[in-house]
Amino acid sequence: MRNISSLLGKLAKTMSVGMMLLFAVTMSNAQDVKEGQTLFKSKCTTCHSVTKKVVGPALAGMTERHDEEWLVKWIKNSQAMIAAGDPTAVQLFEENNNLVMTAFTDLSDDQIKNIIAYVKDEEAKAAEAPAGGGAEAGAAQSDDANTFMIIGLIAIVVLAVVVIVVLNRVIRTLEKVIANNQAAIEAAQARNETVAENRFAKFAQAFVKNKKLVGFSVLMLVAFLAVAGWNTLWNVGVHQGYEPVQPIKFSHQIHAGVNQIECQYCHGGAFKSKNASIPSANVCMNCHNTVTASEHYDGELSPEIAKIYRAVDYNPDTRAYGNNPKPIQWVRIHNLPDFAYFNHSQHVTVAGVECQTCHGPVETMEEVYQYSPLTMKWCIDCHRTTEVNTDNAYYDQLIEAHEKLKKGEKMTAAMIGGLECGKCHY
Amino acid sequence: MKENMLAMNKKNFLGSVCAAFALAAVVSSCGDGKTRSTGWEFSRNMYDPIAFNPDQPNENFKNKITAQLPPAGTNPIGFERFEFANSLEEYERAGRELTSPLAVTQENLAKGDALFHTYCAVCHGPEGKGDGPITKERSVTDSRGTRALETFPPPPSYQKSDAASSSRGGAMSELSDGKIYHTIYYGHNSMGSHASQLSPEERWQVVMYVHELQKK
Ligand code: HEC
Ligand code: HEC
Ligand code: HEC
Ligand code: HEC
Ligand code: HEC
Ligand code: HEC
Repeated sequence: MRNISSLLGKLAKTMSVGMMLLFAVTMSNAQDVKEGQTLFKSKCTTCHSVTKKVVGPALAGMTERHDEEWLVKWIKNSQAMIAAGDPTAVQLFEENNNLVMTAFTDLSDDQIKNIIAYVKDEEAKAAEAPAGGGAEAGAAQSDDANTFMIIGLIAIVVLAVVVIVVLNRVIRTLEKVIANNQAAIEAAQARNETVAENRFAKFAQAFVKNKKLVGFSVLMLVAFLAVAGWNTLWNVGVHQGYEPVQPIKFSHQIHAGVNQIECQYCHGGAFKSKNASIPSANVCMNCHNTVTASEHYDGELSPEIAKIYRAVDYNPDTRAYGNNPKPIQWVRIHNLPDFAYFNHSQHVTVAGVECQTCHGPVETMEEVYQYSPLTMKWCIDCHRTTEVNTDNAYYDQLIEAHEKLKKGEKMTAAMIGGLECGKCHY
Repeated sequence: MKENMLAMNKKNFLGSVCAAFALAAVVSSCGDGKTRSTGWEFSRNMYDPIAFNPDQPNENFKNKITAQLPPAGTNPIGFERFEFANSLEEYERAGRELTSPLAVTQENLAKGDALFHTYCAVCHGPEGKGDGPITKERSVTDSRGTRALETFPPPPSYQKSDAASSSRGGAMSELSDGKIYHTIYYGHNSMGSHASQLSPEERWQVVMYVHELQKK
């Protein structure tokens, strides 16, 4: 019964889609969908999409909600309509948190009608293509999944019955064979065991007798243990290659690689201070208030991005923040011992070292791992070979002091920074 | 004869030692070098800080965060409050009353250029035309397979030649100092606030650079 009704439903859907397409095609003769598209892309996409909510509501179905005259008036100047007290306009405004839609007084009636034609055209396309169809497509997909699962279950049951029958047959024949050959088998088993024992014993004896082989094996074992031990000892406290599981599947490959967001956007501290700093969740929200990755989850919000929303207590339906934030606990990867002082800005801003020199190709990492050993040898090796970029006021002073020394003038502690607060108080 | 044999043994001995070490080295260098564990550690307490790091959890506070917000109503030394609220009227007022305290110099412009490319160009595009990398079609290939990434709604262009209009009225190419500063501080619709990432001086440098783009 359900199948038939859903079949009828589908038929009706395709027919209505066809009708709408036909409608759209005839409409497009009068009104240029193409021009509507250009206008829509340049004026409306900052706030609207046809199929999903962005800043303003999804526009699909707007011609069913409002008549054309109302729409033209609204798009020209929605605030004027609200001020004049149009009940639909006021209600819409309040439902959307009193967000102000731009007034487009520069658009002519025809241009607006073109935009409306374009939206209708897109709507028809979206209904036709299952991927973009939102709730309807989701329902159709889950129907497919159900029938698939039922067929699968039946197949498994049939298979299980066949297997049981066959196994029963096999067991019965085997039992018969065993009964027939019991005596013969027992004798054979006894013989086999003694042969196996003999073989093993023979091998062991031969091995022990061959002193060279024994010596070589022992040597191998010792060498292996020595190398393994040596490596382990050298790597105590060295976390090179450490790649912990993070609370959110945040990918630098997507953000720093494909999206081309610069490191500084999120790790601004690296240019200004000791700590590179991990961005707080409000930085993520600069994009993720809009980017929901729902295309990969059948129109639903990505569960990973939902974690950001939970952290900042954000409600995507009302686009409002609550006051119960729960910080994300990222797992720290790079961690120098507390007795070593490392300052990012000295290396990044002053010396101009690229992040990738120390952190490796982060922009290709789906998950960040520690690329460098962070041992003292590593720091020292670089300090031995890297030339200092002296184009910097600090070195002017230093060079000046050296010039004075060369001329035989007096040099006081104050001239080498003896009056700087930080040299004594830190 | 005997010496000969010793020499032979020495050679064998050396040979086997080399072979053994080679094998051991090969065996112990397996794997791609990435691990989920930190491995062996010695005297962990020398690694952990005594004072709290800003990003550490902290049992001493009710919300268990070390980096606490300053109490409401207090101003850190040298901190200047932004006197305009987040509303359309205040945005218009900022547009009329607020002007940049910085002089237009080559140095400020260069800084503004660099900051704009880091903080704004992802969305607004390197030339401010609203064609940043995240507004374009692009795809990624990773452990979940190849998939197209979502495009961000493109912001309107600043450039005079594009004659785009701001969603709050007026032309994008005519946005004044105060309006741009207000937008950086509070954000607007799909654009988030960038106040936490830029200091007041840096914001004015960016504003200066946006004016350059508006002329194009
Ligand atoms: C600044 C963002 C913004 C821009 C740009 C914008 N809109 Fe809107 N639009 C909104 C908001 C917000 C609403 C919800 C009503 C409100 O809060 O005023 C809305 C509502 C609408 C509605 C009513 C939808 C419904 O389901 O009832 C239509 C139709 C509409 N917009 C069309 C357009 C068109 C066409 C354009 C381009 C010419 C456009 N909008 C540009 C923000 C915007
Ligand atoms: C969109 C914001 C964003 C961008 C852009 C970004 N990062 Fe990150 N980065 C993060 C977050 C969030 C974490 C913490 C989660 C993690 O380790 O994956 C992090 C972690 C790291 C870590 C490991 C920190 C630790 O715990 O030791 C390094 C190193 C790093 N980023 C380097 C870079 C470099 C280099 C770039 C530029 C190529 C970059 N990041 C771009 C957000 C970002
Ligand atoms: C400049 C814009 C921008 C910023 C800032 C940003 N993201 Fe993203 N993020 C994106 C885009 C674009 C995608 C791709 C969406 C898609 O998969 O279609 C994405 C994808 C993701 C995904 C994968 C979603 C999924 O399930 O496929 C996660 C998780 C994520 N971001 C987390 C973060 C976190 C955490 C931060 C803050 C440290 C952050 N993002 C900051 C633009 C941004
Ligand atoms: C000279 C090598 C070097 C360079 C260059 C460098 N880092 Fe680091 N980075 C380190 C070391 C060492 C640590 C560990 C610091 C610690 O534990 O105190 C670290 C730690 C980090 C962390 C973890 C959080 C923190 O602040 O300790 C992040 C994030 C990070 N770096 C990002 C960056 C970014 C982004 C850049 C480029 C702008 C960069 N680093 C450039 C060596 C470097
Ligand atoms: C990629 C090369 C590189 C690596 C790796 C590196 N450094 Fe440096 N470091 C430099 C350069 C170049 C300078 C000089 C910067 C300047 O012009 O003042 C410097 C300067 C310093 C200074 C300041 C010296 C002074 O008296 O002004 C300290 C402290 C320092 N590094 C610590 C470390 C530590 C600790 C590590 C290892 C965790 C490390 N560095 C790793 C390149 C490196
Ligand atoms: C995450 C993407 C994103 C980033 C990053 C971004 N913007 Fe925007 N910006 C937008 C969008 C989208 C709009 C259009 C908002 C609207 O009108 O609804 C916009 C609008 C604007 C406007 C016009 C506001 C008005 O009154 O109409 C200005 C000015 C502006 N941005 C400046 C900046 C500056 C300066 C930066 C860098 C500090 C920046 N933006 C970074 C997305 C972004």
